[in-house]
Amino acid sequence: MFATNLKIAKVHLTSKIKQTVVALLGVMFGISMYVFMNSFMTGVNDVQTDLAFTSLAHIHIYNDGPADNTNLVKRVYKGKDVAINIRNAKVIQYTEGIKNTREILSLVRKQPEVIGITPQVNINVFFRNGSNKVNGTLSGVDVDNENRLFNISTYMTSGTWNSLQYRHDGVILGLDLAQQLSLNINDNINVLTSDGVSRNFKVIGIYQTNVKGVDKSKAYVNISSARQLLSKNQDYVTDLQVNINNFEKTAPVVARLAPVIPYKVESWQTANQQLEAGSKLRDIIAMAVSLTILMVAGFGIYNIMNMTINEKIREIAILKAMGFSGRDVTEIFLVQAVVVGIIGGIIGMILGFVIADIVNHIPFKIGGLNNLPMAYHPKDYIMAFTFGLITTLVAGYLPARKASKIDPVDIIRG
Amino acid sequence: METTIALKADHIIKYFYEPQKFQVLKDVSFEVKKGEFLSLTGKSGSGKSTLLYVLSTMDTNYEGELFINGEKLTGQSQNNLAAFRNEQIGFVFQFHYLLPEFSAIDNVMLPAMKLNKKSKQEIEDKAYKNLKLLGLEDQALKLASKLSGGQQQRVAIARALINDPSIIMGDEPTGNLDSKNTQVVFDIFKELAHEQGQTIITVTHDDDFARNSDRIIDMSDGVIIRHH
Repeated sequence: MFATNLKIAKVHLTSKIKQTVVALLGVMFGISMYVFMNSFMTGVNDVQTDLAFTSLAHIHIYNDGPADNTNLVKRVYKGKDVAINIRNAKVIQYTEGIKNTREILSLVRKQPEVIGITPQVNINVFFRNGSNKVNGTLSGVDVDNENRLFNISTYMTSGTWNSLQYRHDGVILGLDLAQQLSLNINDNINVLTSDGVSRNFKVIGIYQTNVKGVDKSKAYVNISSARQLLSKNQDYVTDLQVNINNFEKTAPVVARLAPVIPYKVESWQTANQQLEAGSKLRDIIAMAVSLTILMVAGFGIYNIMNMTINEKIREIAILKAMGFSGRDVTEIFLVQAVVVGIIGGIIGMILGFVIADIVNHIPFKIGGLNNLPMAYHPKDYIMAFTFGLITTLVAGYLPARKASKIDPVDIIRG
Repeated sequence: METTIALKADHIIKYFYEPQKFQVLKDVSFEVKKGEFLSLTGKSGSGKSTLLYVLSTMDTNYEGELFINGEKLTGQSQNNLAAFRNEQIGFVFQFHYLLPEFSAIDNVMLPAMKLNKKSKQEIEDKAYKNLKLLGLEDQALKLASKLSGGQQQRVAIARALINDPSIIMGDEPTGNLDSKNTQVVFDIFKELAHEQGQTIITVTHDDDFARNSDRIIDMSDGVIIRHH
């Protein structure tokens, strides 16, 4: 029996090629638009996430310094009838930086979500070249791990990132910092710490992240050189930067680490709420756009399938008069819907890919980008195809079911 | 006695609701014997076609009861009725109603393919035989939409006969045919009724056609006014 229904469906699809093509086009456009818009939105989001995390880790562990102890007396004498007058109160910081680094490193590495951790010794310094002085941060880094987290080697405009590993006298400068100090590769630069220690380094590389705040104030040296500058031992770090597999899911990791690490454990969301808001808003926009396309495309597909079936309503009546059951009628049109859905879906995915690829080649030279960003995630394609097939099925099923239920004579009488 | 009654209509009442409520069939009751060739006549608007559609089980929106071959069909599900029609009833519409995108032979074969009791080869042979009976064997492979009105109607008759139904119903089955072909169809019906024991019920305007059948039921304003 199914073979007969298949044959009828095939005749319907092939006898009016034009109409079949229109239905195919409808499905195709819906799906290709969905694929393209999602790829584009995801591409833009990925780029923005990349930009945001060029110098920002997902979790930051650091010594927050002592609490505000400027008025210790008040803690003891709490009443209102005590007058307190303390002048020139000074905070004496007992510990600086992170001491037991090894233990913390091994503890953090044991967390299953953690994909990278890098120790840093960050020092506020003056960069000096002749009479030029620029205030900035000298970051002593573990060369390999730093690159694993922040991908700095891809931002190098001259020199190589790895040379920092072997050149303990070398420094890598941000492009704007180098320009401000009129420095080029292989020039010397003087670094002065707040404790008055001064040392010359040789510029062995220049990077550009396109985050201006970073490019004009940050320089990298080997972590040993930074420790040396502060006269600290080989266990000393000021910051630990941790990346995890899903940058959105920092909360559980922070919740697990914070009680067992005697330092401040801070997620990027808490440290940069504006970034988190931006990221959340982009996700919401992406979802809204994607839903809108789903609805518009879905409605288009529904309309076309509905039209196709309405044109066949008289034939449905004849089939029923001859003894075809409602199930047969539904089957005949579902088969057509599946064929249209699958073919339209496949062509739609291809067209979506082509459009995405063309747009991906449009030049866009701002902020270190060359072309408009585009993501090619199989997920988007699978989603689009599944959605297209489901819409087509529903769009084919609803009118077919309606047609399968009415008395044939109601259609024939008109 | 029970087996000799092919069809029994018991107090059939039907209303049309568009454009306003209107009673088309007013308490129609009659019986048709097995192997009988019955004509339903009457002016247009007398309700004879409406009655035929009720008898054919294609219209379920009526009051009263309908029995065919002793089986009560009133109140059965759409799908049951479809299966019943497929096996027991052959129907010829007033305006032929073939599937335009199928060839004549495919149109004739479809009800038998649906019934699925014979091999495809047997069905095809039988379909050719039926077409030949109606003088259409050379049109078998043409698309239905390419046939003339009279040819289409004859294909529809060939289709109605394909499953050897116990009852064949026709709404003006010879309405588009010339006198020669009308005679051919009449002879076929007569032979089916008298030699194969198949029951024939036709709605017709053709007085000669009606007069030559076994019995005439004459209708007017939704009631039977005469049996001959």
